[in-house]
Amino acid sequence: MGDQAQTKPLEQAWVEKLTQARSLKKWPLAKLISLFESKLPESATTRQAIHHHIRNNPDQFSRQATILGFTGTPGAGKSSLIAELCRRLLAMDTHITIAVLAIDPSSQVSGGSILGDRTRMHYGKKEERLFFRSQASNLELGGVTEATFQACRVLRHLFDFIIIETVGIGQNEIDIQYMTDHTFLVMQPLAGDQIQFMKCGIMEIPDSFIVNKCDEEKLARSSYHMLRSSLKQAKLVDLHADDDYKQSAKDHIFLTSALKGKGIDELANHVLATNPIRPWQQAETFYLKKSIQRRYGEFGLALITNLENTQHEQDGVYSYEEQERLALELIQSHLK
Amino acid sequence: MSDKKEHIIYDQDGKPGNDRPWIFRTYAGHTNVRASNELYRSNLAKGQTGLSIAFDLATQCGYSSDEDIARPEIGKVGVPINTLDDFAILFDQMAMDEINTSMTINGTSMWLLSLYIALAEERGIDLAKLQGTTQNDLIKEFLARGTYVFPPDQSIKLIVDMYEYCLNNIPKWNPSNVCSYHLQEAGATPVQELAYSLVTAITVLDAIKERNCFSEEDFERCVGRVSFFVNAGMRFVEEMCKMRAFTELWDEICQQRYGVKNAKYRRFRYGVQVNSLGLTEEQPENNAWRILIEALGVTLSRNARCRALQLPAWNEALSLPRPWDQQWSLRLQQILAYETDLLEYPDLFDGSLVVESKVNDLKTKAKAEIQKILDAGGGVEAIKTGYMKSQLVISQSERMAKINTGEQIVVGKNRWADGIASPLLDAADGGVFKVDPDSAAETINALLETKAKRDNSKVEACLKQLMDDAKAGKNLMAASIACAHARVSTGEWSATLREVYGEYRPPTGVEGQTLSLENDKLQTVREKVAKFMDQFGHRPRIVVGKPGLDGHSNGAEMISVAARHAGFDVIYFGIRLSAVDIVQSAIEEDVDVIGISLLSGSHNEIIEQLMQELDKEGAKEAIPVMLGGIIPQADIPELHQKGIRQVFTPKDYDLMDIMNTIMDIVMENKQRNA
Repeated sequence: MGDQAQTKPLEQAWVEKLTQARSLKKWPLAKLISLFESKLPESATTRQAIHHHIRNNPDQFSRQATILGFTGTPGAGKSSLIAELCRRLLAMDTHITIAVLAIDPSSQVSGGSILGDRTRMHYGKKEERLFFRSQASNLELGGVTEATFQACRVLRHLFDFIIIETVGIGQNEIDIQYMTDHTFLVMQPLAGDQIQFMKCGIMEIPDSFIVNKCDEEKLARSSYHMLRSSLKQAKLVDLHADDDYKQSAKDHIFLTSALKGKGIDELANHVLATNPIRPWQQAETFYLKKSIQRRYGEFGLALITNLENTQHEQDGVYSYEEQERLALELIQSHLK
Repeated sequence: MSDKKEHIIYDQDGKPGNDRPWIFRTYAGHTNVRASNELYRSNLAKGQTGLSIAFDLATQCGYSSDEDIARPEIGKVGVPINTLDDFAILFDQMAMDEINTSMTINGTSMWLLSLYIALAEERGIDLAKLQGTTQNDLIKEFLARGTYVFPPDQSIKLIVDMYEYCLNNIPKWNPSNVCSYHLQEAGATPVQELAYSLVTAITVLDAIKERNCFSEEDFERCVGRVSFFVNAGMRFVEEMCKMRAFTELWDEICQQRYGVKNAKYRRFRYGVQVNSLGLTEEQPENNAWRILIEALGVTLSRNARCRALQLPAWNEALSLPRPWDQQWSLRLQQILAYETDLLEYPDLFDGSLVVESKVNDLKTKAKAEIQKILDAGGGVEAIKTGYMKSQLVISQSERMAKINTGEQIVVGKNRWADGIASPLLDAADGGVFKVDPDSAAETINALLETKAKRDNSKVEACLKQLMDDAKAGKNLMAASIACAHARVSTGEWSATLREVYGEYRPPTGVEGQTLSLENDKLQTVREKVAKFMDQFGHRPRIVVGKPGLDGHSNGAEMISVAARHAGFDVIYFGIRLSAVDIVQSAIEEDVDVIGISLLSGSHNEIIEQLMQELDKEGAKEAIPVMLGGIIPQADIPELHQKGIRQVFTPKDYDLMDIMNTIMDIVMENKQRNA
């Protein structure tokens, strides 16, 4: 029960928003996500109250979303693929609901961002069962942000599926695995990056592989064989015995063309058959650690800024070891 | 023959004489087919010697006038064409075998050419006599103009189909017209203009060569059909040198890459529309001089003189031009050609060391850039990767930054901005052109009438043939001409091919762009952003997009890049959006402000739709809407009344001034709603 005693009851306005969000009214949903993204201290209090409200009304919030991650290099066509996949999922099952979170990088210079994933995602009309939200990376590494985790905390009680599109910068996009029930790595055909990826951590993360932009069948076939032999060599996954590329889904390899709509049905069927398997506590533990690491990192860096300035004036006088000792002492003194 | 003088033009027989003037054109078309037909006939009567047809955006993007997305655009930036019946009225009382018709049409150019051919066939005209051009340059559509319909590979396939058909059936037709015009409007430097348009020509010719449908002689003729459409800006000496560089580079490419032996087929044939980008909303009368100077750049050098010229009107930064404004520009051409002695002399610059050096410099740099793109996979690849687009955006932001700092002087805008108000704007119509909103009904009724009269089983059969041919990868000209005869509509033809080919969104110009702008105004706006974040716990969020069919995305992209630089989280939504798309995005993203950009003159209709939609969602008060684009001053009060909070026009060119205004409105609005 823990902090129950200190939790303020949830304001009526938020109770109403939650009720409306359950029937997927878009503005209340958007406001809820904003609250979970918010950096204001008072927002944390409200989040906590919402958490308790949801926990105390399990009959109203019985949904448990399957969370899917899509990661991979820029240019692999993740956004177009997700747009096409959502279209297909909504058509195949006329009841399911989907939330998409798409993350794009923030500018190192200004902290602002241009979030362009939405350009691939317009249907010209209202799509009641689909909710799309863009998020800025906020210069956090790992491919997803704390805001993504926070948004999932509430969305997972409201939707059947949450699809997360990572920034797509490269090798360090591994945080996604702590949140998702299934992670897809999206690649370009024959780009040679399959082999390159073997050498780095990201190849160990995905549950499935998607070779997108397989616009021609020949391309699909050769990409499949190339990827399969790489995976075999690296012994990363248990491969199905038969190496017929038409059976590739059995090996969790999907050959798609978002442009031509090829291979999307197989992928959609696979998604529909995926259930929530990861205990949510894992995500919370991971993000709690990450949050502590970040906050104390920032705290430490702020403290030693002054130290840096004085050391700078006496350039060359202090050794690196001396600088390190002084910095740690300073931080220690502030922790007492 | 030693008595020949260097300053006299001699013909092949050694007789002295003057050159004939270039073709005078006016880019025109509006309202509906009837009004446009009257305009064309009166323009020809005024001494214009060629037709240049402007189509409305729905026609350009492949929608019929009765579709929702088409309605706000009917007759705005050009004439709407739905079926062959429309074409019959458009060319009523005009001799198709005598006139030279240039059509500014791209994504749907095969369709419009098919209509033109079908009309000629119905009138019993010998197809070999048809003369003209379909613009049909899709690469620049992906880069700058935005009226593409199909993905890049299929777009190139359609172009090749047209070359194959035209060379055998209408040999005097230019199936496509490589455009550098729009590249300069999008910010291209002269070197980029040279390089990217020549890459475009290479892309088309390589694709034709790959199809291997011509004999060697026919392929030479085919190279000879490639024509260009070029821009000319205020730096008219450099522009003149650019034209000479074009001529020489094209000759080299034709010889070296394609082995064209006959010099006639290597000639750089080009038409020009001079620059509109540099025309100012401030003191608009000054634009008359700018247009004159720009015209000199493409006419002074005989060896690089344009074959056809169309001039913008002095008031194009304010609105679409009226017939009188266009007449004034036509008179400029006539005065230059007939009152001056320009056409009496051989080339004035042959032998000039300055010109030769400048031309060589441009050529060297352009060649390097061409090679870079070819090495990276060619023109289509450079579209898919967004390389050329990103280069254009960089050039454009550098140009804007120079105007901002005053490094580049624009008279009446950033220097000598005070002056006596222009009496030219005092006319009853406010000096701007307006399409009668009721005229669209005539277009839609004509379409419904045709649909009621036509043989629908024939329509279905023709569309099925079109689809089968498309799936089989056949040349689509025959099926398209059959569709035209059967009274298939523009929307039906396009939808059929969209089904086979799919739709495509090219990379936008915002990816990976930065603005290297540091000044006091930036500091001020960043302080406002920081204050906003302290108070509301998140960065200010803005959604930027273009509703409707107008694809000129430069303005929206510049605003997005500037907003990020100021510290906003920008949801960039791109082009061709419905009012519902924009409002839904604003709601889902929980934005603090909506920014939309419109240049097609359809702002009154589109804003009406947008504000209604926003009101329906109960968000009209909560989310302020900003509008930017070519908006006549006279329309602004009504736009405010409809709920637009701020209107930015070309005279608001300082991006950080715009950001400060937006930030003030966001802050004020947020506090009021808190």
